[in-house]
Amino acid sequence: MTALAALEGMDRLTSGEALVAQNVAFAIMAITMVVAALRMVTTRNVVHAALYLVVVLAGVAGQFLLLGAEFVGVTQVMVYIGAIVVLFLFGIMLTKGSFGEDDGVSSEKRLMAGLVGLLVFGVMAAALVDSFEDAEVAREAPSTTAEVSDSIFSTYIVPFEAVSVLLLAALIGAIVVARKD
Amino acid sequence: MSAVTTLAGMGDRAVLAADPLLRGDIDLGIVGIVVLKVVVAFALLLVSVMLMIWFERKLVADMHNRIGPAVAGPFGILQTLADGIKLFFKEDLIPDRSDRAVFKLAPYLSLVPAFLVFAIVPIGGDFSGDGTVTWFGERTYLQVADPPVGVLFFLALSSIAVYGVMLAGWSSGSKYPLLGSVRASAQMISYEAALGLAIATVFLTSGSLSTHDIVATQVEGNWNVLATGVVPFLVFLVAGTAELNRPPFDLVEAEQELVGGFHTEYSSLRFALFFLAEFMNVITMSAIAVTLFLGGPSGPILTDTLGWVWPILWFSVKVFAFLFGFVWLRATLPRFRYDQLMDLGWKVLIPLSLGWFLLIAAMRVADAEGWPVAPVVVVGLAGMTLGAVLLSGAVAKARAERLADLDATEGVDA
Amino acid sequence: MLGQYLPVVVLLILAFLFAALSFVASRLLAPRRPHDRKAAPYECGIIPGRETPERFPVRFFLVAMIFIVFDIEIVFLYPWAVAHGGLGLFGLVAVLLFSLAVFESFVYLIGNGALEWGPVRRVRHAVSPARTSTSTIRRAGVREVGLEGRTIGDESGRAA
Repeated sequence: MTALAALEGMDRLTSGEALVAQNVAFAIMAITMVVAALRMVTTRNVVHAALYLVVVLAGVAGQFLLLGAEFVGVTQVMVYIGAIVVLFLFGIMLTKGSFGEDDGVSSEKRLMAGLVGLLVFGVMAAALVDSFEDAEVAREAPSTTAEVSDSIFSTYIVPFEAVSVLLLAALIGAIVVARKD
Repeated sequence: MSAVTTLAGMGDRAVLAADPLLRGDIDLGIVGIVVLKVVVAFALLLVSVMLMIWFERKLVADMHNRIGPAVAGPFGILQTLADGIKLFFKEDLIPDRSDRAVFKLAPYLSLVPAFLVFAIVPIGGDFSGDGTVTWFGERTYLQVADPPVGVLFFLALSSIAVYGVMLAGWSSGSKYPLLGSVRASAQMISYEAALGLAIATVFLTSGSLSTHDIVATQVEGNWNVLATGVVPFLVFLVAGTAELNRPPFDLVEAEQELVGGFHTEYSSLRFALFFLAEFMNVITMSAIAVTLFLGGPSGPILTDTLGWVWPILWFSVKVFAFLFGFVWLRATLPRFRYDQLMDLGWKVLIPLSLGWFLLIAAMRVADAEGWPVAPVVVVGLAGMTLGAVLLSGAVAKARAERLADLDATEGVDA
Repeated sequence: MLGQYLPVVVLLILAFLFAALSFVASRLLAPRRPHDRKAAPYECGIIPGRETPERFPVRFFLVAMIFIVFDIEIVFLYPWAVAHGGLGLFGLVAVLLFSLAVFESFVYLIGNGALEWGPVRRVRHAVSPARTSTSTIRRAGVREVGLEGRTIGDESGRAA
């Protein structure tokens, strides 16, 4: 019954029982994500790594859904799983033989990757702790698409237009990648 | 001030756009109804796929002046069932050089999204009212689920379905499947963009992403196909056909060059699942087209007794028209070349649907602000023409450069 | 609100069960006669002479790249389309600017030949001009159908 309770959980967020169910659902997803993330960096097959990444991203989408941010959750699937990992897979097929197993990374690269990973983790953790600390995130009604739209076109209008410039840069980057000379 | 109240009203409607069955607490009775609905939808989908495959074979046979399936059951109607049962008894082969885990995973990735998409399609319900039916004392929609992000759910699932095709081809460890799957995934993502832009215009008129709301705004013949100015509908049809990898866009399994395309190495039940998913997608794509553009199940209810049958009937008739069209296309049109396919998708459909979306949006905003609409249309069309000129200029430039490149290399050779 | 996803979850489980049970049935019913030839890559009966291509044209990569851009644009267009009534002219201008920026870079991309797939030069008259639809298509419904190569009225041929 826990899964069921988790699904209806949003309606009774105030009661402690529902929160427990939601936490259970969160824990299941989080564990799956962590396992998939670990497998992603340990597997020797690049395509398998990309597929584990899909699992992690799907988990993120699930977490958004659990928080009632449906639009963001579905967007996560569309953009990350539907476009970005597909790009990765194309990239793998383009460069690495189609069945290339990675024959081990040099320890130097491993060290660098570990350092970068630690750094990113540190920055993100610090940012999260700094901005939220023990603030309780408001658990109001789930955010609808109209509300998302409302905040994009008021508070976040400048970042929104900046995205278009970013996309422009991405497209020009693409053409540079593909040029023969 | 009015703008703010409209927005608030929309917010309310978006929240209410949910199946009344599942709005409150969920008890065992409701779970029972949900399971019943799901099982009915599931069975309906399987039976209609069975009939669709038979119908396609029979109709194509008629158009080819052949007889087609005629042995199993009356008019050969059980042919699909017989074929399906046969596949259970076939040896399941996994190629030596395949990536076994992914090879086994791929059919699931094709089949499961195909099943799930159908969940958001309203197949009945009286839309002159609030589109509900009453079952066992509970009011509910005649659709499996009505998530507020409805149509996005469809797009998200179709982007997952790309993986089925892509991984099937990659994991086979063989030439033809790999070529087929790379082609297929590039084709599917190209046309997904056109599909998404065509759908965006529908959201302008409906003001909601939920399929139920989209149908509810199309009652009394006020269908989106006209409200959005036909162009998005046509783009959706072309892009939908390409997304389904159906003729004339079936380069994925162009049998003359790629044997069976991505599923060449699949046999037995794994092949059957791909086949099933393919035809299921044809049915759901037709159903989605009906929902988005042709008013879904809405239509006149002609009798009082058994009134709930009429919407289902209208829905079936509309979907059937699309299915007939898909088969007709297959029998009539020769296959596109890959470059023609890419050109059509990227250089025609995507810019066209983007331009059309902005045009309709500008018209609606102008209407709401109380400006005359005609000048806006003129300016919009002028803008679109300018865009088209720019685009064709760019195409011409690229082509000329390639020709110059070629001439230069030929000069070196000589 | 999340209750709306309950049927989807049920359907998901049902679809998985269906596929998994079908596999079980197939495993029980299907014969198992493994053979090297069966497990070899399918090449229409020819012994593979070349390996599977190692690399694909970079154009496929470009397509995926451009798709991301349009996907992101679509994702921004949807919420605006839903709520455009309340955002009025301001929203329209913002979206127009956004679309313009994307379209402009798209035109630049096409101008640089990113989406040029076709043959560079079309070969005219690769097929002899004598081959037209009248010379290759036979009308159906007349008696000749299926009698190619036979003399019409040759009763001995038909009897055989």
